[in-house]
Amino acid sequence: MEENPSKVLPESSDHRGSGKVNPSNDIRDLWTTATLSESQLNLPLSEVCENFDEEGIYVDKTQWYRHNGSWEDDEEDEGNSYPEELDEQTLPEQEPHQGSSTEPHVAENGDDSKMKAEKPSSMTSVEGFMHSPHLAYWAEQQNRLPLPLRELMKNEALEILNKALRSYRSGIGREHFLTKELQRYIDGIKKRQDTGQNV
Amino acid sequence: MKLKTGSFLWYLYLDKVYCLLSVRNVKVLVEYFHLLDVHGKNTLNDVLFYHFLHHVTDLKKKQIKIVFDMLDWNAVGEIGFDQFYILVCILLAHQNHLEEQFLYRHSRPVFDLLDLDGEQRIGEATFQMYRFLFNIHKQELTELFHEFDITGDQLLNYKEFKLYTIFSMDKYQKRQQAERERENLQLKNQNKGKDKEKIELFFF
Repeated sequence: MEENPSKVLPESSDHRGSGKVNPSNDIRDLWTTATLSESQLNLPLSEVCENFDEEGIYVDKTQWYRHNGSWEDDEEDEGNSYPEELDEQTLPEQEPHQGSSTEPHVAENGDDSKMKAEKPSSMTSVEGFMHSPHLAYWAEQQNRLPLPLRELMKNEALEILNKALRSYRSGIGREHFLTKELQRYIDGIKKRQDTGQNV
Repeated sequence: MKLKTGSFLWYLYLDKVYCLLSVRNVKVLVEYFHLLDVHGKNTLNDVLFYHFLHHVTDLKKKQIKIVFDMLDWNAVGEIGFDQFYILVCILLAHQNHLEEQFLYRHSRPVFDLLDLDGEQRIGEATFQMYRFLFNIHKQELTELFHEFDITGDQLLNYKEFKLYTIFSMDKYQKRQQAERERENLQLKNQNKGKDKEKIELFFF
């Protein structure tokens, strides 16, 4: 027996903590609400659905392009110079990751193929903001973790790892291989951060 | 239990209906987890886990330890991403006051987590130990065991636990409904007051 999913909790549950107005709410809303749904296009559902065949495969993209002049085909997005420009802009962000352990690197490679698959739907929404003044920002919202959040994530991880390093040193000693491994790891993250800042 | 304001997890968003993270949020959580995975084993050991939870919440050392013991269901001394993910969902549900919703939607995994010895039954002492995760008051928990321990064995089996989550969810929705009605009533009274003032101004 499941509850009716149409029952939506009140908006008050959106607010965290004390509910005070926080200047960072704007960034959080842009990031978090962007993840909830792909349908940011404000298009009527019928207009989107008529472009999909029975198997759910998108067809007749040119018709969609004619109806909505500012949007481009999903397939064309990959060849579009605009995504390449975006990739160039965001490339410095990716470079620091190349020196990291293999696991994240493999994850990123896996993610790249997934991101290519996701690109059509995300790029179409990016194209919708083609004439928006914050184009790069919105593109980033679609495909990447926003820069402020990325920095926050790394800084927080560094703080946690530095505290862990102190525990390692006091618990198992400075010369233990785990302590040294952690120290090297932290140095690697700091080096990548500094490299990123210098670019 | 509170998430530190401005911490990375604080910016993640839990779906209000299903109490889970979106794919994109999970993706960034994976990235975060890998940043903390110092030794490249796709796990966090107890030290890393302690410092992570200590940094992002206001939990005490003892509480962090028992949370780790709960999540380390294989008793290997490390927790993987699955356990990390469910912990983050619990933290966010607590932060967003969605505890009842979360318990209702994910009663089975929560039951399995609380069933520390694997006997498919939860004792009151165990539940009391972990009630801080779900914001359940001590008295409320005692009443829960009295009302829902149908078999009378001082333990909750899964069906009894599920009944509790349904009841709790129902109570939560009624509370929300009552609050909404109260707010509407206050709004109406305010509007009536304003209309009355306008009429008085008009005549005088």
